Amino acid sequence: MSGAELIALLPVLILALGATALLMAGAWWPRRNTLIGTGVAIALLAALTAGGCPPPVAEVSGMFSSGPYARFFTILWSLLAAMTLLLSPRYGRARRFPAGEYPALVLFAAAGMALLSSASSLVGLLVGLESFTLVLYILIAIDKTCPRGTEAGLKYLVMGIVATGLLGFGIALIYATTGTFHFAEMHQALLEGGKLRPLGLLGWALILCAAGFKVSLVPFHLWTPDVYQGAPAPVTALLSTGSKGAVFAALVALMIGIGRGLEALAPLLWALAAASIILGTLCALRQDNIKRMLAYSSVAHMGYVTIGLLAGGETGRSAVIFYLVVYTLSNLGAFGVLTAFAIQGEEPQNYKDLRGLGYHHPRRGSALAFFLLSLAGIPPTAGFIAKFNIFHAAIKTDHLGIALLGILASLVSLYYYLRPVIVMFLTRERDLCLDRGSASEHTVLGVCLLAVLLLGIYPGPLFDLIALILPS
Amino acid sequence: MTAAIFYILSAAALLATLMAITRKNPVHAVIYLVHAFFALALIFFILGAPLVAAWEVIIYAGAIMVLFLFIIMMLELTPGEAARGPGWQRWAPVILLSGSIVVCTLLLMTAEPQAGPGGPNFYASPRDFGYGLFKEYALAVEIVSFQLLFAAVGAFYVGRGERTRRRARGDER
Repeated sequence: MSGAELIALLPVLILALGATALLMAGAWWPRRNTLIGTGVAIALLAALTAGGCPPPVAEVSGMFSSGPYARFFTILWSLLAAMTLLLSPRYGRARRFPAGEYPALVLFAAAGMALLSSASSLVGLLVGLESFTLVLYILIAIDKTCPRGTEAGLKYLVMGIVATGLLGFGIALIYATTGTFHFAEMHQALLEGGKLRPLGLLGWALILCAAGFKVSLVPFHLWTPDVYQGAPAPVTALLSTGSKGAVFAALVALMIGIGRGLEALAPLLWALAAASIILGTLCALRQDNIKRMLAYSSVAHMGYVTIGLLAGGETGRSAVIFYLVVYTLSNLGAFGVLTAFAIQGEEPQNYKDLRGLGYHHPRRGSALAFFLLSLAGIPPTAGFIAKFNIFHAAIKTDHLGIALLGILASLVSLYYYLRPVIVMFLTRERDLCLDRGSASEHTVLGVCLLAVLLLGIYPGPLFDLIALILPS
Repeated sequence: MTAAIFYILSAAALLATLMAITRKNPVHAVIYLVHAFFALALIFFILGAPLVAAWEVIIYAGAIMVLFLFIIMMLELTPGEAARGPGWQRWAPVILLSGSIVVCTLLLMTAEPQAGPGGPNFYASPRDFGYGLFKEYALAVEIVSFQLLFAAVGAFYVGRGERTRRRARGDER
């Protein structure tokens, strides 16, 4: 490791070392709000460094890229960590989150996501993925007053270990075939006479299985509803957006240069996407709990993103990244509203608890409705553009069937996204009174709302940016 | 020769792992797992990585398994009811596994089959190993050490009792 490489790694270093510093500070000086505020500052500093400090080398240790693509996602996940922390002070006070550990864990999760998104070799991929999943196990179980949280943490842990095992197997097989961990050389060595080698295909399949576990694609989605329901709302926000987005960002980077190999993987991706869309949509229809509904709907969303991977090429990749950004903002907003709705010892999750909230808390209620509409893909919101792009990319590359399936599922999804909205705005009666939201929560909701609206009306700049950062 | 030993050891490792995950008595399971680690250590040795082989024995079969046994005994996990049937049926797999592993070890010690054809074309000396670990993959090692730090933090936090927590918390409310 040279000095130049350390400078190239600076944003991640700030996140990881900042997390350690917060941990130390929390041991002697457990002021929750101050430490969370410091955590926000550290995350913003990391985002600034990633944006404003050009890396002197293009690759660090042959494991992590520091190109514009990696920097884009480093900024995105740092901002996500900052927003997650901003959502937490009131929620964390009511549930006695540990003062130092909580912000430290969130920051290190962001560091792991940034590392995963910038991985340029399979070692980097494994190390980055483990960094944030390990932290998420703890974050999910961090609310010790709630037994569901511990249960959810254990479920995620067991599933995560299986996924890590599969990933290790896959990497070992690919290494045994090619003799390299590095993405670029790997793709060339995996192809033989224009076709993927059988061992390579097996390795790819195992890697896709592991990724499927992490982003909850059917048939690896079984943990999703329980974990979403049991985890504290701000942690669910981080889990449902960053951890999935980072895995897809890494997959996009991994699949650049795959060439003819994509033909061999196409049936696999097709089956994963179709199963996720169908099962996710059908299961979401039956839920009476908004967190479980969002969990199943996220399964369907991950299916849509997989269509983008299946389409491949410049259009497919840029559609995937756009979708990830929009999905992150909308989902963060939705879980942000749920965090803001939470009161001492309870989160309104069931639809009957949401009754009348739209009248009593019109701003937060309509924000939730807006985010749900964005997830459903209704035109003025960015969700529409994101879905449109995915389906456009699929149709352009002759995947008409799966595009039609996705469009149909989006239509059906209106039913389950509108149900909580209707429940919130249908009646005025309400027996449970909620707290006033705090300013920091409203800031996050405002930022997400504005971003989703702006990207929905004027998405051009983000597309230009994505075209600029995408490595060819 | 090397190939034959490799296949015997692979079969032994697979069999031992299979036995480990199907035993009702946790102590028996640990014993089988130790066999699996010994077989794996010999496979590493055949592949030309003696340092990894030594560590496999010292760390996994030695330290970690002792820890497992310690925890099993501390928690007083009740073993399932004793298996029916004559005693030799229970002893046969252990004896078979240990026998094959000991025979393979002796063969490797006496014949040095690595030198012959089919042996490894790569030999990872401790120096090579250290170079890989602390130079080429130094960053990965550092990141993993961070992970272990946070894993320890998580284990402390999740495992800590409510009473000690209240004392250590220092709420600002």
